Amino acid sequence: MRIAVLLSAGRHPVSGKPTLPRTEAQAIRMAAGLGAATGLHVGPDAFPAEAALGHGLDYAAHIACAAGSDPVGPLAARIVSDAPDIVLAGRRGQGGDETGLVPYAVAARLGVPIVPDAVAMRPATDGLVEIDQALPKGVLRRLVVRTPVVVTVHPAAPPPLPFAFGKARRGSIERIAAAPTDLAAGAPPPEERPYRKRPKMMRAAGGSAADRLKAVTGEATAGGAKVLDHQTPEDAAKEVLAFLRRVGVLAPASAAGPGRRPAASEDASRHATS
Amino acid sequence: MTAAFAALAFLMTGLATAQTLRRAALWRLGAAAPVDWVSGLAKLPKRYLVDVHHVVARDPYASRMHAIVAGGLLAATMLAGFAILPPLAGSRFYWSVVALAFAMTLAGSLLVGARRYPKTPKRLSKGGFQRLPFLLLAYAAGGTAAALSIALSGPENPVLLVALLVAAGGGLGLAYEVKDGPMRHAVAGALHLIAHPRQKRFEQGRPDAALLPLDLDAPKLGAELPADFTWNRLLGFDACVQCGRCETACPAFAAGQPLNPKRLIQDLVGALAPDGPTYQGSPYPNARPVAGEAGPLFKVIGPDAKIHPDTLWSCTTCRACVEECPMMIEHVDAIISLRRHQTLELSAPPQKSFETLANLREADEPGARPLTARGDFAAGIELPVISKRGEADVLLWLGDGAYDMRYGRTLRALIKLFHEAGVDFAVLGEEERDTGDLARRLGDEATYQGLAKANIETLQKYRFNRIVTSDPHALHALRNEYRAFGGDFEVVHHTAFLLELIDAGKLPTGKLDAGTVTYHDPCYLGRYNGETEAPRKVLDRIGLSRVEMARHGRRSMCCGGGGGAPIADIPGDARIPDLRMAQAAETGAEMVAVACPTCTAMLEGVTGRTAEIRDVAELVLMAVETGRADEPRRAAA
Ligand code: SF4
Ligand code: SF4
Repeated sequence: MRIAVLLSAGRHPVSGKPTLPRTEAQAIRMAAGLGAATGLHVGPDAFPAEAALGHGLDYAAHIACAAGSDPVGPLAARIVSDAPDIVLAGRRGQGGDETGLVPYAVAARLGVPIVPDAVAMRPATDGLVEIDQALPKGVLRRLVVRTPVVVTVHPAAPPPLPFAFGKARRGSIERIAAAPTDLAAGAPPPEERPYRKRPKMMRAAGGSAADRLKAVTGEATAGGAKVLDHQTPEDAAKEVLAFLRRVGVLAPASAAGPGRRPAASEDASRHATS
Repeated sequence: MTAAFAALAFLMTGLATAQTLRRAALWRLGAAAPVDWVSGLAKLPKRYLVDVHHVVARDPYASRMHAIVAGGLLAATMLAGFAILPPLAGSRFYWSVVALAFAMTLAGSLLVGARRYPKTPKRLSKGGFQRLPFLLLAYAAGGTAAALSIALSGPENPVLLVALLVAAGGGLGLAYEVKDGPMRHAVAGALHLIAHPRQKRFEQGRPDAALLPLDLDAPKLGAELPADFTWNRLLGFDACVQCGRCETACPAFAAGQPLNPKRLIQDLVGALAPDGPTYQGSPYPNARPVAGEAGPLFKVIGPDAKIHPDTLWSCTTCRACVEECPMMIEHVDAIISLRRHQTLELSAPPQKSFETLANLREADEPGARPLTARGDFAAGIELPVISKRGEADVLLWLGDGAYDMRYGRTLRALIKLFHEAGVDFAVLGEEERDTGDLARRLGDEATYQGLAKANIETLQKYRFNRIVTSDPHALHALRNEYRAFGGDFEVVHHTAFLLELIDAGKLPTGKLDAGTVTYHDPCYLGRYNGETEAPRKVLDRIGLSRVEMARHGRRSMCCGGGGGAPIADIPGDARIPDLRMAQAAETGAEMVAVACPTCTAMLEGVTGRTAEIRDVAELVLMAVETGRADEPRRAAA
């Protein structure tokens, strides 16, 4: 199995020093258990590629491009030409030019599925890979996915191997120049909106301590999760509405006035999930 | 017949030389190291008589035994060799002198035997060493009888042949043992004294304890195979006489962690020459089994090698073993070389240290705490920052104890004392990074060198006369280990600095009435820097009555906090700080005085302890405050 690990230019949350994001170092360790792994970084500086070698990769490609240009195009092009079975990536951005939504954009560009939050992976039979996916509250879901697939790594995956100076020295980095792609040409420009208070979820207090704890921590996920498969859009929408009513984001069905349009509830549901 | 006696002496010398050369072929597998043979040879007698004797004499029985048996053996064999000169061979006086020398060896052999029989002390290895007294006895008794018979009844007498045969059996046996047996220590030990990798340790002055910098461009980082050690280090391992002094001193061994410095050295010997005799001394306590091949070109560390990584990471780098070793073996250097390879080449430091090492690399601080928060402990006290002033007489290095709530109290006390005495001082503030000591001890030399260079650059920006620090690990790094990277600073430990202030009359102290106190020497101050007196004098000046633990000064026992050992956290039967506090309790002292943030944390963390833990600075502040309280009363009286 061949794996490409996407590397991004993070920053340490305390010191602000350039750092390979922890989840990407974890991805390297995970990749080592799956097969031959190579690193791939698009950006102005090579340090993520260098750090990745220290964390265990033998080889990483650094596609140099100007700061601020869109990495998705060069990443997708390289992945297409390399054709790895699995693309591993970090999860979310915490600082600097960390991965953020890039894995999603890459998956969309490549037209392959993306599985977020993997904590463990095992190759299954031909062209399939088994992924343990972390859900909230420590719940794991096992998925069997057909490759190629983009997978992001959850912080609960095994800790990254420490950076080894000798390994960083031994590994090799291939420097590739990329035609600059304008960020604006790729993804839509980020949109800034004024901060709005999130709607408070009011729940009935009282009950036992356990109930109150549940009310605070939210019982909706994990244990109470309801998995619906192959629903008609109408049924699915009904379920979502029922769920939102149950957790108190929407007023109960009877209380919804006749004058309220469905758009209002759509709006509310976006707040609850964003 | 007298010629046969002389021939025996020559035969023995020849056999011993041949055996040494066979062994030397193994040493030659090691890496190259420059050795100044001429100067080393010239210094050998002094090193043997002063430096080695200084250590050996701590065990008076062993010292007497060794002087008699080794002196006798050398003298008797040399004298016997002179029998090739006809005038001597015919002299009865000469033969009585030879007999006397052999008799001395005989007395020594009996002492050697009496140490091992009927019961061999635990710290001594058995195996070949149990044979040694008999070989010595045969050689010495045979030699005595032969020489005596010649002296009394001339060269043709019935006793002589038998006596010579007995002597030959013992003597040639001894010479044969030079390659793999107990007698190797004599030859390898002497060569080791000449070609010692740390020539400075034989000079007077501070101990030579700074780790040697690793060349980060070297083809291989750290030691993986026995052949990666320099040849004179391999020679040093071969000098081990398995006396077990290091084992007795080792805190990790005492706590039942899987480390025994004697066994470690023997495993390194065994890794180099796997066909040698099996080790027959105390094991690594609670060790996990290892299985693997050994040889000069096989890896040393791993569950599938000779030594389990647990052994490597149990060490606190306290240097107690080095301090006690009569053969001047440098255990800590060997351990650090092996650790460097694990961390730098294999990403294999102890699992629990992953986070710490990452923090040191990425945030310049083992706990990834913001550097701006280092001074937070001093809230409410004036803490001048040097960047605002550019210069100060004293630069106060805070260290990572500053982030600790408990140790913050000590630092506050120290800063109050500075203000009290009118010291012109400043701190680096957010420009102070970790010294990198911990990274270095955990084998991460790359991170260490990065931090060292950054700190040196910062320090060189400012003008100050001295650095004062309360952290002996920082002291050792700044004073001794930064030198190799161009940092040459005068660094003073806070205890020595406080003594100066008190003696200069700048700190008017009252007399403390706080019961008896015992002082725990930090390894990095006592053994690494030879400073044991200043803190004791401070305690005396403030009127405390001081008692000593059995192990103190240069021979003190570690609190368990050094070398990254608390982070590696290798399980044992007991905790090292618990053992140390039990030793403190034996003195009956109500208080243990400390002078190091790590010791403070380790000893104060002991549950059920009866004694208080106070840093010397805290005690001095108490004394100053008592003095101030007494002042009006005295004025009124
Ligand atoms: S290493 Fe030194 S102290 Fe330890 S057993 Fe060998 S000779 Fe003795
Ligand atoms: S340095 Fe200390 S802990 Fe390490 S082996 Fe020597 S005595 Fe034991």
